[in-house]
Amino acid sequence: MPRSLACCALAPSSLPDRSGPVDRSGPVRPLAFLLTLAAATVLGPSAGAQKPPTIRLPESVRQLKPVAMEVAPVDASRREEAKAKAAEITRLVDKVLQEKGIAANGMSDDYVFLRRIYLDVAGRIPTLEEVQAFSNANPETRRTELIDTLLNSPDYVFNFYNFWADVLRLTEEPQANIIADPYLAYVKDSIRENKPYDRWVYEMLTAEGKVWDNPAVGYQLRDEGQPLPYLDNTVRVFLGTQIGCAQCHDHPFDNWSQHQFYQLAAFTAGTKTRIDGRDPEFKQGNVASKLINDARAEIREKDPKGYLSGEFQRLVRANTYRVSEIKQTLRLPHDYAYDDHEPKSVVEPAVLWDKVPAEAASRSPRHQFAAWLTSPKNKQFSRTVANRYWKRLMGVGIVEPVDDFNDSNPRFNEELLEFLSEEMVRLDFNTKEFVRTILYSDAYQRESTPFELTSGEPYYFPGPTLRRMTAAQAWDSILTLAVYNPVPFERPTATEMAPVLDLDFTKTTVASVHQAAAKFRDTYYMPIYKRELNTHAYKGAVLCRASELPQPLPGDHFLRQFGIGDRESINGEQPGATVPQILTIFNGPITHVMLETGSRIYDNVDRVSGNPRMALDVIFLSILTRPPSSSDRRTAVTEVITAKKPAIGYGNVIWALLNTREFLFIQ
Amino acid sequence: MFQVPNPVSFNDSDSQPDRRSFMASAARQLLGVSFFAGANSFGGAAPEAAAAASAAGGKKAKHIIYLFMDGGLAHLDTFDPKPGTEEGGETKGIATRTPGVYFGENFPRLAYLSGALAVVRSLSTETGAHEQGRYLMRTAYKQLNSIRHPGMGAWMAHVAGQTNQELPANILIGADNDHPGAGFLDPALTPVPIANAAYGLKNIKLPGYVTEDSFKRRLQLANKFDRDFRQRYAGSQVEAYNQMYLQARRLMGSNALKVFDIKDEPEAVAEAYGKNPLGQGCLLARRLVEQGVGFVEISSGGWDMHQDLYEKLETKGGELDMALSSLLRDLHSKGLLDETLVVLATEFGRTPKINVNAGRDHHPGAFSGLLAGAGIRGGQVYGASDEKGHLVDSDHVSVGAFNATIAAAAGLPTDKEFFAPNGRPFKIGGGAKPVAALLA
Repeated sequence: MPRSLACCALAPSSLPDRSGPVDRSGPVRPLAFLLTLAAATVLGPSAGAQKPPTIRLPESVRQLKPVAMEVAPVDASRREEAKAKAAEITRLVDKVLQEKGIAANGMSDDYVFLRRIYLDVAGRIPTLEEVQAFSNANPETRRTELIDTLLNSPDYVFNFYNFWADVLRLTEEPQANIIADPYLAYVKDSIRENKPYDRWVYEMLTAEGKVWDNPAVGYQLRDEGQPLPYLDNTVRVFLGTQIGCAQCHDHPFDNWSQHQFYQLAAFTAGTKTRIDGRDPEFKQGNVASKLINDARAEIREKDPKGYLSGEFQRLVRANTYRVSEIKQTLRLPHDYAYDDHEPKSVVEPAVLWDKVPAEAASRSPRHQFAAWLTSPKNKQFSRTVANRYWKRLMGVGIVEPVDDFNDSNPRFNEELLEFLSEEMVRLDFNTKEFVRTILYSDAYQRESTPFELTSGEPYYFPGPTLRRMTAAQAWDSILTLAVYNPVPFERPTATEMAPVLDLDFTKTTVASVHQAAAKFRDTYYMPIYKRELNTHAYKGAVLCRASELPQPLPGDHFLRQFGIGDRESINGEQPGATVPQILTIFNGPITHVMLETGSRIYDNVDRVSGNPRMALDVIFLSILTRPPSSSDRRTAVTEVITAKKPAIGYGNVIWALLNTREFLFIQ
Repeated sequence: MFQVPNPVSFNDSDSQPDRRSFMASAARQLLGVSFFAGANSFGGAAPEAAAAASAAGGKKAKHIIYLFMDGGLAHLDTFDPKPGTEEGGETKGIATRTPGVYFGENFPRLAYLSGALAVVRSLSTETGAHEQGRYLMRTAYKQLNSIRHPGMGAWMAHVAGQTNQELPANILIGADNDHPGAGFLDPALTPVPIANAAYGLKNIKLPGYVTEDSFKRRLQLANKFDRDFRQRYAGSQVEAYNQMYLQARRLMGSNALKVFDIKDEPEAVAEAYGKNPLGQGCLLARRLVEQGVGFVEISSGGWDMHQDLYEKLETKGGELDMALSSLLRDLHSKGLLDETLVVLATEFGRTPKINVNAGRDHHPGAFSGLLAGAGIRGGQVYGASDEKGHLVDSDHVSVGAFNATIAAAAGLPTDKEFFAPNGRPFKIGGGAKPVAALLA
């Protein structure tokens, strides 16, 4: 029989017992009542007996403040349809399991499900209040309801932004003079409005203009000046196909010839990324360089040691990046080594497979390429994205690596892959509905299995795999424990930035640019902007969700230590264990912030600290999303009783739970 | 073009006598006066003499310092210049002290130390992708889904063990996410990453209010709370964390951690290495090796010069020249070069053709690496690329052979089979043979 949970008023039958002996002591009280209990004790040793405690957390994270964001909701009327498709997913998984003689895992219990679904959809663990809400909800429908609620929340946007940021190598400064913030905001916004994936990709592949006028050009600017790597990356990310080697020679392990690579590159050869002498602004020469030189000369005249401000130069240079498409033929390299074509001969554009959709035939080459790549008929496009989401939620892709579908990489469940790919198309690339379908499935909701791809074994999905939290999930979960408002500032959008950033080179003077640069400095100039974020910092760590922090972060930031990418390689995130991670959890500010007076978990424990049983429930539910087992409880109670002060004992228990593998892994 | 390169010089404009005498003695110590004398004495002599005079001698390396130039070092502008050709670009050659051997002009200090260097100009691979290239260079195996191969540091720690009982045997300086680490070997052999050499290992002290006793108590608590989970999910992922917890615990409070305080070094020394991540990384590497650490890798980014190569190379090349030359001199003056192997590696070269953005693109067809110190026969160039630097012309050195040579110089077996947990056999260097001519 399930245990009762004093502090959280989890209905006795509502969540399963995972903790051995039944413990019926302690009153069942709603949390609301407990919240009225007087604050009594403190966790940190710093707090004196009666003095009002010093709060060292920044004020901006101390107040509950829901994120104001209109998130495109799932379609309530499609729930049954999603359930039916989810059942089909499970059937296809089970079919292969049966063939292989492998038993499917049992269904995960409610606590495991709750923690997993929060981490997978919201990108963080649930708060104490959210655990309570779930436990009070109708057991028949609460899993489904919660999935929908989370898919409709801003958390979903933050979480899936992190997912795409790793794929697309999102950074504010892909090159020293490119400003990409508007593009980053655009990616987030595309997730927020649940823009159909095919349209989103099409926009990125065809956008023209400056990044604050049309932020989708940021995708092109990520590989500015590198037309061939751009193509290689694009095909790899969206088609799960690696043609990079064919840039230099015929691909030794795959079917791509160097000529095919160049044929594909011929579509995008006319992409121009900078204003130059062919544009009206620069008819009289490079105005940008002239502005910088003139401004520098003026300064040097007054003071030989004077220097021109960084913001002036950055603003001027950033304005030289403008994407457009011109007529341009592509020629084979001079050292083209194969007999089929002459070196330096003109290459006619051709796609790798199928053909350019008829309706796009009259469009420009860049548009033709995008139309082919994103076409619902291009199976490799839908397969790749379906497999990426599957891996994100199940731990392992049906094909691995997710960006290399070559024939030597096995498909663990061919039929399932095709089904998911068709679903993606049937849903018109509505990725949220697609994710919803997977989450509804028993296949997803089963218990997890510890599995590593590098074992060389195939994986047939008896359940999701045991995964270490991503760096962002770990960081955002710690914030969930520590602060009330994990999003104390918002990042600028294209609309906000455009009036500040845009220069018209036909009208600029040194004086007018100085004025504009001053405004830029006061708003979005990154070095200053970053410094100002420190108003939200605790001991040097800016307490804000990972999705909002400028990237890449310095190598010794918590997120980097836990493997978030440097945004240089596609899917650069690594989940491996290292010593500095542990030292950071042991001794770094980020674990200690929650032992500070005024942290969210501190306050929650503080309210009930006179009652060890409740306090321990609060601690375990907050950190591990489960109540203490009876042996946990014995251990913890002993700790609290034998500590010099109970508060110190609670602090030790909190610290200890953060240092469990159970905290760091998603079951 | 034939200028005699200037050795590292210190700014001696400071008039205070005590500071000046300190500088002089620091310079003597750092520059390895005897190393200098040796280098001078064989200037112009036959290559054999240079090789004989190379500091290394025939001893096997007990330590390896491995510099990885992340992004792809342009061979034509560094250690395989072709001045006067179209492909050679703007790079001028400067004479090294090895007769007939030229380096790019950004490397005067290394040119001066060429008597200690074995320059390999005939490396090549088949992959022009960074991630795969790096993986191959570090492991000698092609990157696959189904297995993760160990890097050289893990192999070394696996075979040779931990030479300093308190410090990790394998250290990686510079944040680098996709390092193969310990591969299929014990996760405890994973390199300990040091993101920034100037800060060393962070968070090694308990916060002021936590006593050693309460820390122990907390750890015991964590172990008790975690017991069920670890049993239920026993496996290599969870075990890797268990191992790291033990390592982190052992490290905390250890006196050996002083090694990370590179601020203890005289300012003149820090400046001679260069106040940049690569320079300070090399300085830290020397300190670590001095304390008995087996393998130190310094990963240095920014070499992927698709644009404005010559502008960038002036900075990065200068940094590399200072850092590596100071490292060699410093190791030598401390008597460590005859037990330390120093390697310079990268994932591929850069195209002979200079692109429209004044950069060079990825080029796996031919590229260069350097070896110096223990176990290596210095003062030589091994292998050659063709006249355009396009393909390997003679004495091809595969990435496997390069790795096997490193292993052999450090006395690691290249013939022995090691078995991964899946039962498959692997060799250090991927089964390739060491290049005998490179070995002392």
